[in-house]
Amino acid sequence: MYSDLNQRLKADVRLEEGLQACMNCGICTAICPAAEFYEYDPRSIAITVQSGNEEKIAALLEGDTIWYCGQCMSCKTRCPRNNCPGLIISVLRKLSQETGAFIKSRMGRQQYLIVKTIGANILRFGYCVHPNSLVPATHPEQGPVWRWIYENMHEVYAAVDANLDGDGPGAMRKISPTDLDELHQIFEVSGGLKLYQTIEYFSQLKAVEMGLTDTNGKADMEKYTQYLLNE
Amino acid sequence: MNNKHVAVIGGGIAGMEAASVLARQGLKVTLIEKQANTGGKLNDWDHLFPDFSSPDELVSSLATKTKDSGVNTVYNTEISRIERAGKRFELRANQDVRFYADAVLVASGFNVFDATIKEEYGYGLFGNVITSVDFEKRMKKHGQLRTIQGTAPKRVAIIHCVGSRDAKVGNTYCSKVCCITGIKQAIEISEMLPDCEVFCFYMDLRLYGSTFDSLYLQAQKRHKIQFIRGRLSEAAERADKSIQIKAEDTLQGRPLRMTVDMVILLVGMEPGASTSQLIQKNQMTVDENGFLKSTNMHCARNQSTQEGIFMAGTAICPMAVNETIENARSAATEIIHFFENHRP
Ligand SMILES: Cc1cc2nc3c(=O)[nH]c(=O)nc-3n(C[C@H](O)[C@H](O)[C@H](O)COP(=O)(O)OP(=O)(O)OC[C@H]3O[C@@H](n4cnc5c(N)ncnc54)[C@H](O)[C@@H]3O)c2cc1C
Ligand code: SF4
Ligand code: SF4
Ligand code: SF4
Repeated sequence: MYSDLNQRLKADVRLEEGLQACMNCGICTAICPAAEFYEYDPRSIAITVQSGNEEKIAALLEGDTIWYCGQCMSCKTRCPRNNCPGLIISVLRKLSQETGAFIKSRMGRQQYLIVKTIGANILRFGYCVHPNSLVPATHPEQGPVWRWIYENMHEVYAAVDANLDGDGPGAMRKISPTDLDELHQIFEVSGGLKLYQTIEYFSQLKAVEMGLTDTNGKADMEKYTQYLLNE
Repeated sequence: MNNKHVAVIGGGIAGMEAASVLARQGLKVTLIEKQANTGGKLNDWDHLFPDFSSPDELVSSLATKTKDSGVNTVYNTEISRIERAGKRFELRANQDVRFYADAVLVASGFNVFDATIKEEYGYGLFGNVITSVDFEKRMKKHGQLRTIQGTAPKRVAIIHCVGSRDAKVGNTYCSKVCCITGIKQAIEISEMLPDCEVFCFYMDLRLYGSTFDSLYLQAQKRHKIQFIRGRLSEAAERADKSIQIKAEDTLQGRPLRMTVDMVILLVGMEPGASTSQLIQKNQMTVDENGFLKSTNMHCARNQSTQEGIFMAGTAICPMAVNETIENARSAATEIIHFFENHRP
C-alpha cells in the first residue's frame, strides 16, 4: 500500500541524527516517561526502523504507538550510541501524516483536533496555547482554578505583570500583524501549511468512510470532531 | 646482548613478569614503579576470577622472581618522558632523576573509569552505590559487605558496562573483564550472604575465558543469581538510603523499577593516566581507544610505533591477569629479538 518507506524515512535528516545504530540496550525505554504509562517501547521502535522491514514500519505508521511519545527527548541524553528515538518518532509521525496512515489509529486521528486547535492558534494568535482558547467547558481537565483564572483573566494576568493582548513588550502580549504574517510565511515555505492540508484531507476521507457526511454526501467535520472527542 | 640495558616502566604484574624474564636472559633491567610497592592494581583486589585465587600470593611470587633474577627495582619514581638520545633512550622522572636505556618497555597499565562521570548512577552522591573496585577493597579490608547504614544488604544490583560501550562517556570499546568480575562478585556475595538476592543487569555477557561460562552456570544454578538483560538508565536514593534503579527488561520489553540495598557498578578499564605523557617526545601513538598502539595487531602486539620502545599488559588494551602475564613474556621475547637483530 505504501512504497519506498525506507527511502522516505532516510530522506529526512532527522533520521540520520536520530539513528546511528541501536544496540538494544533499553536505556531509552527505561528513561522514557511515556513508556511508564503506555504500551510503548522506544527501543523496539528504533530496532524496527533499523531493521528496514517495511511491513513492520507500515504497522507503526498505522498504529497508536508512535503518538504516545511526548517528544521530551530524554532518550537523547542517555543513549550510549548517541541515538535519539524521539527524533526517529518525529520522522515516523511525519511520514504517517504524509501517507495518511494516521487515520487508521485512534491516537493518529487526533491529529485533526490538534491542527484545529494548536495548529490554528499559532497562526491566529502567534501562541500554540492562548488563554482565550482554553475554554473551561471544553477543557474540564484544567479544573476549577483555571475556571476562576479564565473568568478573571485580565486582572490575574495583570497581577503577574503580564501584558495580556496588549501592545508593546511583555508576556502574552499581542503579536503584531507583521510578525503573524512572517509566521504564516514560515509555515508556507517550510511545508507546515501543506501538512495541515494533508491532515485535513485524509481526515475528510475518514469522515466520509465512516458515513459522517452532510446531506450532499460530503464530509461533515463537525460530526467528525464530535466523534474524535468521544472516541 | 649482555651489556644492554632495558628500562621497564610500571611495576604491575606485566612489568614484573617481563623484567624477570629479561633479567634471566642476562640483560640489565631496571623496573621503575611510581608507587611504594610493585603489583599494581592487584594489590587492591581481594580474589581473582576465575579461580578465586589470591592476588597477594601471585604478586609476592612475581616479586621473588624479579628479585632473584637480579632486576633492579626503583620505587616511588614516576616516568614522565621517554626521549631518544642517540641510539639510546633517556627517561625522565620526578625530581630530575634520569635513566638511560637501550630499549624501553612500557607496562604502565590502565586506569579505572571514574564512575562520577556517569552522574545518573549517583556514584559519589549516594552512599550505597559503589564500584567493583570499592567492592574488592572493602572485601580485602573488612572481609564483608555492608550498606552505609551498617546492615547486611538483602538485595544487590550489579551493573555491567559502566564507562564502557558508551559513546556518551567517550569509551565505545568493551573492557572485557568486567562481565566475569561481576559474576565473581555476585557469587562471593551470595556465598557470604545466602539470603541476599543478587541481580546482574547486562547487555551482553562477554565470557570469553575457557572457564568463564561454567562460572556463569554456577552463578545461576547454585547461587540463583538473576540476570536481567537491560542497561541501567538511572539510580535514585530513597529516604531510607536504599537505591531505586530503572532499566528495561529488554527480553520482556517492559520498563522495570526495582529497589535494592546496594548497587555495584562494574567500572571499565581506560588508558593509563601517564599514557598521553609517555608518547610525547617520541614516535609512539595511541589507537582509536587511546591505548598504546602496536605496529601490528596480530604479529607485533608488543611493538610500539617507536622502534626500540615496547609495550606489555593493559597499557595495550584491557586484559585479565593470565593474558597480561603471557603478554609480558611475549614482550620480553620481542625485546630479545630486537637486540639480536641490532647486534653491533
Ligand atoms: C575491578 C577489576 C577487577 C579485576 N579482577 C581481575 C581478576 O579477578 N582476575 C584477573 O585475571 N584480572 C582482573 N582484573 C584485570 C587485572 O587487574 C589486570 O589484568 C592487571 O592489573 C594488569 O596488570 P598491568 O601490569 O598491565 O597494569 P596495572 O595493574 O595497572 O599496573 C601498572 C603499574 O604501572 C605503574 N605505573 C603507571 N604509570 C607509571 C609511570 N609513568 N611511571 C612508573 N610507574 C607507572 C602503576 O603504578 C602500576 O603499579 C580486574 C580489573 C578490574 C578493573
Ligand atoms: S538507548 Fe539507544 S542503543 Fe539503547 S535501545 Fe535505545 S536507541 Fe537503542
Ligand atoms: S522523546 Fe519520546 S521516546 Fe524519547 S523519552 Fe521522550 S517520550 Fe520517550
Ligand atoms: S566485559 Fe561485559 S560489562 Fe565489561 S564492557 Fe564488556 S560487555 Fe560490558
